[in-house]
Amino acid sequence: MFDPTMPQSPATPDAKRAAFEAEALVHLDVVYRYALSLTHDRAEAEDLTQDTFLRAFRHWDQYTPGTNARAWLFTICRNQFRRRRERQAREEPTDTEELESLAAAALQASAVPPDAAEGFFETPELGDVLRKELDNLPEEFREVVILSDLQDQSYADIATVLGVPLGTVKSRLFRGRRLLQERLVEYARDAGLLPGTGGTR
Amino acid sequence: MTDCRKVLGRMWEFLDGEIPQREAEEVRAHLVGCEHCNPQYKLQLRFLNALVRAHAAREVPRPEFVRRLREILGTIGSDLR
Repeated sequence: MFDPTMPQSPATPDAKRAAFEAEALVHLDVVYRYALSLTHDRAEAEDLTQDTFLRAFRHWDQYTPGTNARAWLFTICRNQFRRRRERQAREEPTDTEELESLAAAALQASAVPPDAAEGFFETPELGDVLRKELDNLPEEFREVVILSDLQDQSYADIATVLGVPLGTVKSRLFRGRRLLQERLVEYARDAGLLPGTGGTR
Repeated sequence: MTDCRKVLGRMWEFLDGEIPQREAEEVRAHLVGCEHCNPQYKLQLRFLNALVRAHAAREVPRPEFVRRLREILGTIGSDLR
């Protein structure tokens, strides 16, 4: 468990535990929810969360105090998740980076009539629908939307967590939001929540 | 910076707090003041707020799990002594 090749830490075991408690373990709920959003399964999310914190504790000397502990934990969590998934599947996402036009096009295409949207986003059942649609997003988009919009991480920190360039983060985030909005609109039309929109196509 | 398309192209980065302050102020002024862009701006604000609310309602870890994890971490911690 103790790695003799690691740099000597001046911290006593008690100090290490106290620091870990204060800086890492306080994020338990957040990491668990992140794990849940990756796995869609409570038991698996618990396993993943446990792996994450055990690993974080073992590698605590590599964490720089005062930096973004959440991002550090998300990185570990995601790597652990990847490792679990690697056995099952392999995928190679590709990216393009025409970001400005992508963002602008997303707004045109999102097709929520701004007037009708007034009450739409306050609809009680929207929360459930959003959670479901978020879970159904392709993973490469979902993980970026989660880290940005739900976990409040910066583009730069997300790039670090995912190990991808900043442009890729933006591209995936904007595409993910756009997809999510399109699905919400579809749902709203089907449920009759959006009044006569007519001009979708 | 009054080109609507250009502003809309930067809107998400603005909402994400990812553009420099001076430019952010210009973008915001346009989004608030422009008849064409303002509804889009409000729409995206509502969308992002709805996402945050939806997520806040997600569940928390079970207390038994939290207790077990703390026990395991405690055990490992004392292995270092």
